[in-house]
This record gives sequence, structure tokens and C-alpha cells, in this order.
Amino acid sequence: MPLHTLVQERRFSTPVIFKDPRLFQLTALGSFLIFGILQLGWQHDIKRFLVLISFTLLAQCLAIVALKLPIDSWKSGLISGLGLCLLFHSSSFWILAMAAIIAIGSKYLIRWKGTHIFNPANFGIVIPLLLTNEAWVNTGQWGSGVMLAFFFASAALMVLMKVGRIDTSVTFLLTLFALESLRSVFYLEWDFDVVFHKMMNGSVLLFAFFMITDPRTTPNRMKGRIIWAALIGVLSFALTSVFYLHTAPIWALFIATPFTLFMNHLFGGKTFNWKPISHITKQFKQ
Amino acid sequence: MKNLKTLIVFALMMVQIEGVMAFCGFYVAKADAKLFNNRSEVILVRNGNRTVVTMSNDFKGNVRDFAMVVPVPVVLSEHDIRVVNRSIFDKLNDYSAPRLVEYYDEHPCAPMIEARNEMFFAPTMVESITTKDMAMDVNENYGVSIEAEYEVGEYNILILSATESDGLRRWLTDNDYTIPQDADDVLNPYIKSNMKFFVVKVNLEKVASQETEYLSPIQITYSSEKFMLPIRLGMANADGPQDLVVYALTDQGRVECANYRTVQLPTDRNIPTYVKSKFGEFYKSVFERSWKYEGQNAVFLEYAWDVSPQNRVKCDPCVGPPPIQGDLAEAGVNWLNSTGKAYFTRLHVRYERDKFPQDLQFQVTPNKERYQARYVVTHPANGDFSCDEGQAYLKDLEMRRSKEVDELRVLTGWVTKHQSGYINEFSNRRLDRQNIQEERNEFIPVGSSDGKRPGGNQFPWTLPIVFVALAFFIGLTSKLVKKLEAVRSMS
Repeated sequence: MPLHTLVQERRFSTPVIFKDPRLFQLTALGSFLIFGILQLGWQHDIKRFLVLISFTLLAQCLAIVALKLPIDSWKSGLISGLGLCLLFHSSSFWILAMAAIIAIGSKYLIRWKGTHIFNPANFGIVIPLLLTNEAWVNTGQWGSGVMLAFFFASAALMVLMKVGRIDTSVTFLLTLFALESLRSVFYLEWDFDVVFHKMMNGSVLLFAFFMITDPRTTPNRMKGRIIWAALIGVLSFALTSVFYLHTAPIWALFIATPFTLFMNHLFGGKTFNWKPISHITKQFKQ
Repeated sequence: MKNLKTLIVFALMMVQIEGVMAFCGFYVAKADAKLFNNRSEVILVRNGNRTVVTMSNDFKGNVRDFAMVVPVPVVLSEHDIRVVNRSIFDKLNDYSAPRLVEYYDEHPCAPMIEARNEMFFAPTMVESITTKDMAMDVNENYGVSIEAEYEVGEYNILILSATESDGLRRWLTDNDYTIPQDADDVLNPYIKSNMKFFVVKVNLEKVASQETEYLSPIQITYSSEKFMLPIRLGMANADGPQDLVVYALTDQGRVECANYRTVQLPTDRNIPTYVKSKFGEFYKSVFERSWKYEGQNAVFLEYAWDVSPQNRVKCDPCVGPPPIQGDLAEAGVNWLNSTGKAYFTRLHVRYERDKFPQDLQFQVTPNKERYQARYVVTHPANGDFSCDEGQAYLKDLEMRRSKEVDELRVLTGWVTKHQSGYINEFSNRRLDRQNIQEERNEFIPVGSSDGKRPGGNQFPWTLPIVFVALAFFIGLTSKLVKKLEAVRSMS
């Protein structure tokens, strides 16, 4: 049955967050943050969250005014801000502000063929880590056990949403899982729960489902995305097991950014543009 | 009314738990005596890739039976191993232990200011190093190489490298070390990770009596990117959960766990005065409750402070003398002359096999924020309360005490029969005594009468609930925005 028939036959309206993938993402990230505050003891960090969110929104507003962007783009700004809240730590007000401004700034200043190339939140995390001694990422802050639910909720809803980038998440997680199993279980002979504990780490899952799925900074074609995500998986594994880097995936994504351009060059494809699904269905009807 | 002044400050050490302690290695008995390891302490000093690990040794019994195996990332040289004075552990423990603070209420009818804050400073002792020659030996049959052999303090130390766990196990058994059955499974991962084995026995010629009071802590220094504690090996002869207290010193800031959650214990809570006499027991319950609440797989922060020599406020309040430069040097801090900065973190882990599948990995963060696990008791004023302020004070006191009892229940789960007596201890001095019965019912805390802390870590119900609530909120907001836009475009 064609999609427009389905849309016409529908009796009740779709909740708004399912119409716009960005609103969905905002809801998900926002609820993780509130969950952390309520249940994981992040209430000591509320000031940090406020600074990060206000400065990303402020930077985004400036960009909207200066570059005459659609007002709608506040959603992307807030998504980057929440992404920073969930991963980035600093006790310094200025470094938090800097991270937020760098994240948003990178979208409009570092561009190639009409689109930004770095994942904004990732760029906002990596630059302060590289340039200052006052920033860190706490990879253990989510714990591991409760994350099963996180995993399923995210995965199921992502599929439901059809943001279209579930392939990157799956490829990355499978690559990392395969390599970790080979090393930890088959070579080092640890029990399987060691790998499980590593893969169920909340930071890894958050990264897999909400950072490397940004449609604007992932390759346009599925083939390209799969190769790209596998590359990030391999890099993360290498950085963890050789250099004992706890924040390996974040660095891997940063390093792999130029490969996005290469993949797009190789496989082509149209650059993704944020449009609510309702617009797409309208076009479909016409 | 609540002009409170600090009077006396005191702390109680963590509750002493009987038994032998071991952390990242296992103690192995030469006889088949069953050894348990329940609680251990370790000092971790980290500066770049340089790591100094000091392991406490609370072995009690015949030293002939003492032996210890610890995986280490590199072959240690002679000057990388030394014994240190046991007092360094006591100092760091006394300084950073969870604390009880006492306050005294000022008399409401006749205010009088009195304050005293006790602090202690003590000199330090530094023990010299004793090391001896080194040897290299290979035993092909076992696949075990003796990389080095030293005599340090009262110990004979061997550094072994092995190619397979079975050989290592046989070597240890043939050399009179009885190793736990389950150790075999965890030896292999360490061998394959290219870790060496630091094997320690007591040199019987060096100890005055075999029934010695205590053995010296051993300190090792190495350079490695790995900043971790291999707890898995210690689980081999563990009987139930083990407690590990880590005193970490760095040049950057706090230390936190990189692969488990680092959680702050509830702090700055007001608790009833009767807890004072059993503070040790109280803290044990607080810890146990938090440990269960956090899913039994978190690392707890008990203390974090800047202990740099130039920082004047090394604790607030102090419960033991803060570590001075000599103590820090004894622990392995060697950078004070260049940067002058040192940060102290006390972490407490209760681990067992099921909840801690991975070894503990740490990271040094630039977080310099202070933290202390601190609990407060406030003693009431005494005397004649007939003035108006006095009467208001008594009313407040009842309210405060009922909150304290409630807090105690939430923190520890303790329910005391006498708590209503505690709340109303001063009620008979109230002139409006006839109304008390009525008000008492108001004061009895409601809501958390079962003493359970909300939440728990079984299933994160909060997550889907918050998600749905937020979705509704965002949905409503965007509808509102659309309506506003429509109104604006019409006008």
C-alpha cells in the first residue's frame, strides 16, 4: 500500500515528535539528562548543564540572526547542547562556554561543499580536550547494568523513527562487539560478561545511537556509511586496547571525519536536509 | 534561633572488619589454612604515566604462611620496590574518613558565643629503602621465567613472567604456594595481557618473631599507560563481597573510575544525637544502603580535597592531621618541588565477581572540587525556656528532631522504638503543653515510614516516564507555537 494512502487513512494524528526527527532526538536526549539527574546522582552538575545549554542556544541564535537561517534550526543547536551535557565535563565556566560556542561555530565556519563536516557536539568535546587541561569525559558515569533498557528503548525508537541512520549504529556496535569479543574472550580468555559490560556502557551506547547517527555528518549513501561506521569501530577498538584511551569512540569519530567526505566522493548521494516527515509526505501526495 | 557554633569535631575510623585483606592479588597459604580477604587499602599515586601503588598488609598469623601474588604491568627494578611505614595508611585514613560533626545550640533566652575547632597536626616519619640483588632465571618446564629476585624489607620478592596459566599454577604449587582453585581462570588473561607477577613471601631471617604484629606495606613504582587495579585475581579466594579503600594522589585533580560509576555518598545530613555513640555502625549502614541502592556496582567517593602544601584549608573540619609534605613523599608524590600541587581522592569500592566483571580502571580528571562525607549532630540548649524565644525554640527543636529521625531512616533504614521519645524529649517544657498531643501527629514523619530510599536501581522506570512526559511537553509546546504563528500570520 503506498505511503500516502496510509497517511490518508490514518484516523488519529501522529504525535508531533514523530513528525520531526529532531524533536524526537531532543526528547530522547532530554529524558536521558533528566534520568541522570533523578537517578544517577547528576544533580551536582545542574549548573554545568545550564551553562552548556544556554551557550549553545545563544550561539545558535546568533547564527540564526547573522546568517538569516531558518528559526527552526534552534532544534539542532539544542541537540548539540544536550549531547555536550551528556558527555562533556569541566569545572570552568569559560571552558563550558567555549565548548558550546565551538560546537555551534564549527557548523558554520568549517564547511565543505555547502555543508558542515564535523559532528558539532563531537567537535565541541574534542577541541577543549586537546587545547586545555580543564576538560574531561566521564565514560563511567552511566554505569552498565541499567543500560539494557536504554539500549532497547533507543534502538526500537530509532527504527520506528526511520531517521535512516540506524545502519551506522548497528555497524559500529557490531564491529566493536566482534573485535572486543575476539580480543577479550577468545584471546585473553576473560569470561563473556567482560565484553558485555564494556558494550553495555552507557557512554558507548549514547555515542552509537545519538552521535554517529547525525545525518548531516555521516556519509550520504548506505554503503559509505557502513564502511565509515566500521572504520570508527576499528579505530575505537585500537585506541582502547593499544593506548588504553577510555574516550576512544569520541576520538575515533573525530579522526574519521575526513573519511565522510571521501565516502561521499566515492559513492555520491544527496546531502541530507532536515525536513519534518510531514513535509516529505506532503511532497509524496503531490 | 539557629545560631549554631562548631564545638568539637571528631571522626571514627571505618568499621574494622575482621579477616585478612587483599586486593589485586590473592594471599596464598602455604598450609591449607583458609584465608579470607574482606577489606584492603591501597594508595595510588599518578603523575603522567608514573604510578606508585602502595599495598597495605594486615596479615595476622604466622608469617611463614604469608604469601601474595599481584599482577603488575612491567618488570620492576630493584629501586622500584620498597617497604613503607604502616602509619601512612593510618594517617590518610584518619584524615579522610567519613566524619561526624557536632554542633551545640546557643541558648535561645541568653545567647552566648563560644566556638572551638579542634585541629591536629603531627610530624611524619619516612622509612628508608632496603633492596638487594637481582637474578634472572628461566624454567622451561613451567614456561615461567623469574625476571628478577629481590630482598626488600622483610620480604623476598620474585617477579615472574609466564607463558601459560597452567605452568604458572604448577610452578606456584611446586614452590609451596597453595593457590585458590578459581585462580586458574583469571591467570590466563593477565599472562596474555603481558602482565608480570609480583610474588611476595616473608624472609624469615628478617623478622624478629614469626608471630609478628604486622607486616610492612609494600610500595611499587612503574611507568605504564594502564591506570588500573587488577581486582579480578583477588576475587579468586574471596568469600562474599570485598571492600577496597583507595587513597589516590595526583597532580591534576580528582581520580574517578572510568568503567564503573563514581558516586558521591549522601553528605551534610543532620542526624539524631543518639547516633553519636554508634557512628561507626551508622556509617556502615549508610554505605551498605547506598551500595545496594546504586545496584552494587558503583565506586563511592568519600573524600576529595586539595592537599597541596600551600593550600591552607586542607580540611573543614579536620578529623585527623592533614598529610604534610613528608607523608605525600612517603606515598610516592615526587613532583611537589616542581608544581607544588597535590590532590587527594578517597574512593571506596565493595566488589564481587558478579557485579564487577572488569578490573577497575581509573582516570585522573582536572576536577578540583572538594567533597567530604559529613554527618551532623546538633545538641539542644538546656536550661529555662520560659521566654518567648525559648518556647519558639522548643517548637522548632521538635520539628528539627523529627526531620533528623526521618533522615536517619532514609540513610540507614534504621527504625528506633524510642524515636518519638527523642523527638519529644523537651516537650514537657513547653508552656502550651495541652496542644502537644495534636501537634505530635504532625511531627511524626510521613512519606518514608518504611525507611526505603526512593528509586533503586532494579529497572530505570524513570527513563520511560520522563521520556513520555517530555514528549507530551514538547508536543504541546510545538502545537502552541504553531497556533501562535497562525494567529500572527492572520493578523
